[in-house]
Amino acid sequence: MKFLCVSCDEAMKLIEARPPERGSLTVLYRCPSCAFEFAMLTNPYETQVVASLGVEVGAEPTGTVGASRCPFPGLVRDMGAGGEGSLPWTPEATSRLGNIPEFARPMAKTGIEKFAKERGLAQIDAQVLDQAKDFFGM
Amino acid sequence: MKGYYDIVGDGGSDILEQVQAQQENVVRSLSGVRNLLAIGSGKGGVGKSTLTMQLACALRELGNAVSILDADLNGPSQARLGGLQDRILVPGESGAPVPTTRSGIGVVSMGMLLPEPHAVEFESVTSGSSHTWRATREFTILRELLACMDWGKLDYLLVDLPPGAERIVQYAELLGPRALFVLVTIPSDLARGVVARSYDALRKTTNRTLGYVENMQGYYCPDCERVKPLFPAQTQVKLDLPCLGSVPFDPELAALCDRGGFPSDSTAPVSWQPVRRIAEEVCRRVAERAPAPEERR
Repeated sequence: MKFLCVSCDEAMKLIEARPPERGSLTVLYRCPSCAFEFAMLTNPYETQVVASLGVEVGAEPTGTVGASRCPFPGLVRDMGAGGEGSLPWTPEATSRLGNIPEFARPMAKTGIEKFAKERGLAQIDAQVLDQAKDFFGM
Repeated sequence: MKGYYDIVGDGGSDILEQVQAQQENVVRSLSGVRNLLAIGSGKGGVGKSTLTMQLACALRELGNAVSILDADLNGPSQARLGGLQDRILVPGESGAPVPTTRSGIGVVSMGMLLPEPHAVEFESVTSGSSHTWRATREFTILRELLACMDWGKLDYLLVDLPPGAERIVQYAELLGPRALFVLVTIPSDLARGVVARSYDALRKTTNRTLGYVENMQGYYCPDCERVKPLFPAQTQVKLDLPCLGSVPFDPELAALCDRGGFPSDSTAPVSWQPVRRIAEEVCRRVAERAPAPEERR
């Protein structure tokens, strides 16, 4: 979708995309010529169209790891992923977590922490990830 | 006044660019995969998943590096078939390493991420409307799996497709024109009719269909050591594509599958030799024609 400032015949530029609130996105645009601003307010269906593609309005087009949501939120909640008792992750390990699909991260995080706890480890670092990789035969 | 195509870019939302970047990542991730082989049917319950794992084992025995992507997100089978239900995805230094079976077949399946009996559920900001978004979400997940997994160098990546004759074209589009298809049927007009629809749909794409496999061709009776018919001997629906081979229904194999086992020379059930012949036939047909430039993606 593109927007045109009719008075200036100029393409409007995105200046801010606010996080969804009750399924509605607020995206602000400004005309680079006359500085006229307006906000596009999406309905939940329109928001969902974008979310289903695994993209975010205004995000960098790296496409490295999509933004699709976890398709098993109930199970993740039941397992208490990310809740009390979860282990700290070093920045390097957290960065490596970005190498797996976003939807799979909560389950992977829970599984790796379980693996570490069973071995009496207090935090997740790159070494623990390598141990887990070897243990799980990858 | 300017029109849509007079304006370069989209003003900053970058949605189109993000989708294109996702597609480019899939191409990059699969660059080490020599042959992309989708196993489909259109019909459910004909043994696609079992045959996919058997075929992977046979291709592996023939000296190929093989992995499987279980594209059936809602009824995943490959984790159980490969005895990999307890595996988790562990992030590597680049991408996610593919879990492998004891015989060295890589498997990526939702069954590793989601233990039985949990079902995939898609939350939606629009209450009660997940049916509207589900297909898009599923394909987005598959695209992420294709892009993020570290497939490495493979001779064959087998993609185990879910049922749905009309959806086979969507999978062809997702996998790109170089994906080859094998269709699975059983000797009944009911199944063959659906497979014929799938083939009709595939003919409208640029993807090549290698042929079909007739599964559950008969029942192997261990008492009389003969294959007896399971379905009526005569079928009316003709399939206008090569038959790659037939595989008898094999209770021994079914038991192996439930245990997460897999056929090998040491535990060869009666269906093993037919599957090996099919694997040889697949290799022969794949080698028969080098991919056309438009198939290389």
